[in-house]
Amino acid sequence: MSRKASGLKAWAIQRLTAIYVGLFTLYLVAVLLFSAPEGYEAWKAWIGGPPVSVALLLFVVSVLMHAWIGVRDVLIDYVHPIAIRATLLGLIALSLIAMGLWAAQALILVRLA
Amino acid sequence: MKFLISRFNPETDSKPYMQAFEVEVTRGMMLRDALLDVKRQDESFAFRHSCGEGVCGSDGVNVNGVNKLACVTPVSELKEPVEVRPFPGRPIIRDLVVDMTQFYQQYKAVKPWLVREDPMPEQEILQSPEDRDKLDGLYECILCGCCSTSCPSFWWNPEKFHGPQALLTAWRFLADSRDQATDERLDELEGPYKLFRCHTIMNCVEVCPKGLNPTQAIGHIKNLMLKNAV
Repeated sequence: MSRKASGLKAWAIQRLTAIYVGLFTLYLVAVLLFSAPEGYEAWKAWIGGPPVSVALLLFVVSVLMHAWIGVRDVLIDYVHPIAIRATLLGLIALSLIAMGLWAAQALILVRLA
Repeated sequence: MKFLISRFNPETDSKPYMQAFEVEVTRGMMLRDALLDVKRQDESFAFRHSCGEGVCGSDGVNVNGVNKLACVTPVSELKEPVEVRPFPGRPIIRDLVVDMTQFYQQYKAVKPWLVREDPMPEQEILQSPEDRDKLDGLYECILCGCCSTSCPSFWWNPEKFHGPQALLTAWRFLADSRDQATDERLDELEGPYKLFRCHTIMNCVEVCPKGLNPTQAIGHIKNLMLKNAV
């Protein structure tokens, strides 16, 4: 863990993704409050448009990276037995990847439809 | 004034317990004076102290849940009953005396001395007043340990995380215009443990009896690392 795991890079990525997630969340809330698309077709058109689609994918990736670094930090702090920590890290990595793939799949299907 | 003091004798006790003492308060009494009075009542009571004026950093203790230097803490400021415990997270040797070995190891690990590549000048290495000013708020540390032993990250990983004291010292030498080992020092701090276990909890800033700011120093180190990395 301590040999290869990054310090500065993880910290910088966490800061960077936090900024993007924060800004994009503001944008999402603003859209939902003031000009929420009405009906499924309008939703599809909004989500499927290239700018929103790409921004949303970037958002999903940012959230996942941010979550990974955060959870890794918690495990490094509190879970010291290496077997338990490795198992937990593995499970969390797999579930984060699954969530990312699921979100990507949904976005791609919307664009294709 | 009522004091509850944590007692522990490794030869007879399985775990620490609190013992009550009554101390007569005199004008201008510091906590160290009260502990000395307790020692007069019970000479088996052990605590560290030396200079009595906040310079040597020997008598750091946990008072009503907060790490303080006993010699510069007026008892009039404390809420009764005053609960005095040893520094949290450290192995207890006896009563209020704890084992600070790991704390000193972390201090040693940041190479707390000036490193010069250039040949030594015949006399002193000159420094401008502006560069000297950058060391203010850093060099005053007396290594009492109040900060590091109040830091949760240091509680969980005292063998790997440098802790606020050692990181303040690391920045003290990184910030020194006379030091020439910036890259080596920064390389040494890379990885998830030594520096990056700090989650800016800021207990260190809260308790420092010298009013120093280790969290800010840690921020400076991270920024310098980032600057040198991109």
